[in-house]
Amino acid sequence: MSYYDVDAILTDGEKVPCRFELDVPYLGHLDNSNGLKPGTRLNLPLWLAEMFALASAGEDSKPPLTLTLPPCLSEQVLAALKADPRAVPLRDQSAYFYGVAVRMLDLFDERELSAILRTTFVVRAADVGLHARKAEESGLGGQGEEFLRGLDEWERRLFRRGHEGVKWAKEWTDNVKKS
Amino acid sequence: MYGDLGIKLVQHAKRTQNLAHLPPYQADLVRAVTREVRDLNKDVDDLLEPFQGSFDPAEDQAVAYTLLVNHISMRRNKRCLLAYHRTRTDKLEELVWNGADVIDLSGQQVRDGGASGSKGVASGDGSTSSLSPQEEDYVRQYGDLLAAYKGQWTDIDLTGSLEPPRDLFIDVRVLKDAGEIQTEYGAITLTKNSQFYVRQGDVERLIAQGYLQKLS
Repeated sequence: MSYYDVDAILTDGEKVPCRFELDVPYLGHLDNSNGLKPGTRLNLPLWLAEMFALASAGEDSKPPLTLTLPPCLSEQVLAALKADPRAVPLRDQSAYFYGVAVRMLDLFDERELSAILRTTFVVRAADVGLHARKAEESGLGGQGEEFLRGLDEWERRLFRRGHEGVKWAKEWTDNVKKS
Repeated sequence: MYGDLGIKLVQHAKRTQNLAHLPPYQADLVRAVTREVRDLNKDVDDLLEPFQGSFDPAEDQAVAYTLLVNHISMRRNKRCLLAYHRTRTDKLEELVWNGADVIDLSGQQVRDGGASGSKGVASGDGSTSSLSPQEEDYVRQYGDLLAAYKGQWTDIDLTGSLEPPRDLFIDVRVLKDAGEIQTEYGAITLTKNSQFYVRQGDVERLIAQGYLQKLS
């Protein structure tokens, strides 16, 4: 993940729910009020929320804000993923589903979450690969299209790579045959 | 909300990555983001003003966190701006390596000479150049750099095609007047709509630049 990585920047732009713990009168613009009161809930982009959650002014003072897991990683979504990873359109949860999840795992110690995500990725990756190989021939069946629409950015990239790989391999074999 | 404009800029960059050509430079957005940074900086100065340089974050946490938000927002905007421009310069470098001309890239305006000089006027509204004046400058200088680099090996064309030619000679049609070129077999004058049977190596560059069309 480089500083200039466009996808990383967009991942950082995804919003996460937070709760303010302090009274900050100057920051009313964050939720369109005249100042943040302790306990205010608001959605902040990750780049802001992360720095904030880690910051603290004095040695023993609390961080000014507590983070919670974003809705795309809520109990319901995880339960659905546990049931059948292939049936969940990840893109509807977040276009940068895995990216956000990885960032959240940096901040939270959630072993179960990480295990679920790993299985999800592996199971879905196999299907992504399958579709990437078949996309050329069959002109996409109804069910396949539905699945591909639900891919998040990581999976899309995987799909594109897989598709290109098949295409190039075919081009190469054709060339060999010709000459 | 601070940073929203930056996101827009990065979304433009993302779209640019998947395009073959370079979309117009988002001068207005870039200006809006830099203005946001200036505003944030002014806010920081205003907040720190009463403290006369002896600010203790532990004493006034509200101010400290406001400063933090402003600072992070500025950093975020900087990152968005840099990423946007970097995506474009990467694309420009690629185009230069592929043999594109600044003039081709930036449309007719530059050919008249005047437009590139007036700063900021050439924003992207289709009819004018899709490059900012700075980008035009960048392309020109990068092209010079590449030419100097290539000049070290006169017997190899570093930007030439990697495909081995099937035929030594090919038929080409002239799409744009290109003037006279020198070949091993003498000079030929390329006038529009005429057709020639020439050595591929002699005209490869002209095909890449769109002056000639290869006929199969």
